[in-house]
Amino acid sequence: MVIRALLKRNTYYDSITLMSVAQAAKDLPGVEDIGAVMATEVNLELLLNANLMPTAFLAEQQTSPGPEDLLIVARAIDESLAEAALAVAEERLSSRAERGAPSSTETLPVRSLEMALKRDEAANLAVISVAGEHAWLEAEQALRHGLHVFLFSDNVPVEQEQRLKILAANKGLLLMGPDCGTAIINGIGLGFSNVVSRGSIGIVGASGTGMQQLICLIAATGMGVSQAIGTGGRDLSEAIGGVMMRRGLELLANDEQTEVIVLVSKPPAERVAHEILAAAQITKPVVVVFLGTAAERFASEAGNAHMARTLTEGAELAVSLAGGDRTRVPGKDTLNKYDLEAERAKLEITRVASKAPQQFIRALYSGGTLCDEAMLLLSEQVGAIASNIPLRPEWTLTPGETFRGHTALDLGSDEFTRGRPHPMIDPTLRLQYLARAAEDPETAVILMDIVLGFCAQQNPAAVYAPAIVQAREKARDAGRSLPVIISLCGTEGDPQRLSMQRTALEAAGALVYESNEVAARAAALLVSDAIHQAEEVHHD
Amino acid sequence: MTVSLVATDYSRPLQPIFEQEPRAGTIHSVFHKAVNITLDDTILALLSDELPRMPNSVRLPSIGAGDLLPQLRPGMEVWIGDGRLLIPTRSFLLHLPERPAWEPRPEISAHLWRREIVARHVRLLALYLADQAQQGGLALLIRPLLLERPAPDSPLSRMALPKLRMIAQASWRQDITGIEDATRGLAGLGPGLTPSGDDALGGFISIMMLLSPQLSADGASRVYIANTIAATARPRTTALSAVLLAHAACGEVAEQLGTLLLTLTLPAEAPEAVLNAADHVLAFGASSGGDTLLGILLGLRTLEGELN
Repeated sequence: MVIRALLKRNTYYDSITLMSVAQAAKDLPGVEDIGAVMATEVNLELLLNANLMPTAFLAEQQTSPGPEDLLIVARAIDESLAEAALAVAEERLSSRAERGAPSSTETLPVRSLEMALKRDEAANLAVISVAGEHAWLEAEQALRHGLHVFLFSDNVPVEQEQRLKILAANKGLLLMGPDCGTAIINGIGLGFSNVVSRGSIGIVGASGTGMQQLICLIAATGMGVSQAIGTGGRDLSEAIGGVMMRRGLELLANDEQTEVIVLVSKPPAERVAHEILAAAQITKPVVVVFLGTAAERFASEAGNAHMARTLTEGAELAVSLAGGDRTRVPGKDTLNKYDLEAERAKLEITRVASKAPQQFIRALYSGGTLCDEAMLLLSEQVGAIASNIPLRPEWTLTPGETFRGHTALDLGSDEFTRGRPHPMIDPTLRLQYLARAAEDPETAVILMDIVLGFCAQQNPAAVYAPAIVQAREKARDAGRSLPVIISLCGTEGDPQRLSMQRTALEAAGALVYESNEVAARAAALLVSDAIHQAEEVHHD
Repeated sequence: MTVSLVATDYSRPLQPIFEQEPRAGTIHSVFHKAVNITLDDTILALLSDELPRMPNSVRLPSIGAGDLLPQLRPGMEVWIGDGRLLIPTRSFLLHLPERPAWEPRPEISAHLWRREIVARHVRLLALYLADQAQQGGLALLIRPLLLERPAPDSPLSRMALPKLRMIAQASWRQDITGIEDATRGLAGLGPGLTPSGDDALGGFISIMMLLSPQLSADGASRVYIANTIAATARPRTTALSAVLLAHAACGEVAEQLGTLLLTLTLPAEAPEAVLNAADHVLAFGASSGGDTLLGILLGLRTLEGELN
């Protein structure tokens, strides 16, 4: 074990920056811990207590560091790794400083739409990510300049969204958003996006992680995506009326490369669903995934459209219609009955032996749509699912409640991400919930999603695998078996590499599924049996 | 060409600094939407008006802030006085607006304070904070401190917990030695430019200063405790923290904090406004909001006299 340190005098960074830098350095292999604090007297004591005190380093300093100095300390298994961790930290801090502080000799950064257009007159799409209250203004300017818009910002009032989408539609433009998490336009990923080859399936989606799941399942069959157009989650609401989904559908209908179109959304407003289905009566095959909506509900309006109830079913239909092999979609066939049986047996044995009340699913999601899909499927199997984004008002978690019976949390929703990065980027919050779920004797199964791709965490398995091992070991020490199921959404081309992530997570004892539907069904299977067993014990 | 802007607003304690003859200060630190400026023995914050008001802040329109702040560097010269702020190297001039300054001391005396209602809000907020899972700070120590639940174990919590208990007990007993001892263990403790321990102290100070006359169960004012804590902390923490603690000792707090304190007079049966105000406090910084709320709740519970 080696401790190395770096001192930056009279240097100030906000704590979010320091935490993110420390996390990046800590993710390196062989790095045990990182401290990044102002060098106050008590923080030196804190470093000592955390086994991070750089005693020799401090002794070398001509002037002792003080409260205005930033001290970064790395503890690693050897010197080179400790130095590497500090180098990563310093490089990250420097690059942030440079990004925020261009020198006078550098080209001035683009600070307005007009400046950007002067730099590149051929640009025809603006990516906007500014505070929600100002985002509509930037979006309107871009539309008035004739640009398509990818609007990543959230908190845009619905009235502004309505107005902007009408403006975009009148100009024949796309307004993707607000709160648009992902898109792939002409092969270029925007926002959170996965690496997939270009192909013949086009997608229009009012759901970020829903589109990512579709894209990844399609990629798993070797097929590709022509375009993936996000619309923002409210597009199919009564207020917005599906303006952008219809526009996206129209564009894909006229796109030569697109042979099959998939439309995906959370449950839409009734009137809007009918209008979308009417617009979908075109010569190209259209697959419609209105999550959780029974195909029979729209049987009379579906016409030529192929209705799918889940993302996996949507991917299977799209692949099949595009001439691919639908059996290659990692769907229900991947439900490894042997592994599942083994986990179920262990769960039953330990639960009966300890008389522990293990009977509930605890789902910890980072993707809102994936969480929605899981809740829809789980509720059919196990009943009420408490949540911060509940399917029914009476299933809402109240302030102070972490879990209540079967629980599914969307940890990427606003109340969890205020003041901190999204859980797809920073795992800290979800690790805390994982530990709490594991400690709860009522938890029978933990279900989580891990979403790979650009902008997502660099190496999620490096963080979650040890946490899963620890959670399962702690449960075992308490006499409980604790299955952990992962819905892993990614492609082999993603920076994190799907296979590497899968291997590491499986080695940690997790059951890993690429289909969120299958992951949810696996969780339901395990817990259904637990309930059955609990009833038997009760009767005994 | 000099760019000239009118500030959106400014905090009342800055008025004398702006009214005097111009004097030179330097830029202390630069962030995305905020710049700190050292002038004599204090620090002013130049903020985009997207951020809430601070007791030491001058805010400028967000569009102007977006252009100006990225061009600033630590060490740059700033002149403040005659109602203006000038940054010569960027040819930037900021005028104070004609309207009155913002008052960072909440209007405590304009409200009716009832101990039993405040106590119910404190209980609710403690449960709410305990479930927030803030990163890196001290917020989760609310569990052992107020809810008799286990503490998360970390070197930071092991150091902070006994000192937080000590400051509550010593403040109730009005034991100055104990208060100073606890402050020395908390000032400058933890991550951040305003370390977690200071944020908790800031919340605690604001309660002693603003609400101890109204809410102390024994009827004794503990206003002087605020000054004791700020003075003890001053040499042991960052300059910015020391300035904010000094403001808190005068009852001058951030906008979202003042709003939260005033919601504690609302009926306990309708907690939405209290939780909404708490959300705004929690949204501040990575862990600062949770740490501050911890200090507030600890201070309020201390005044109930039941932590001994």
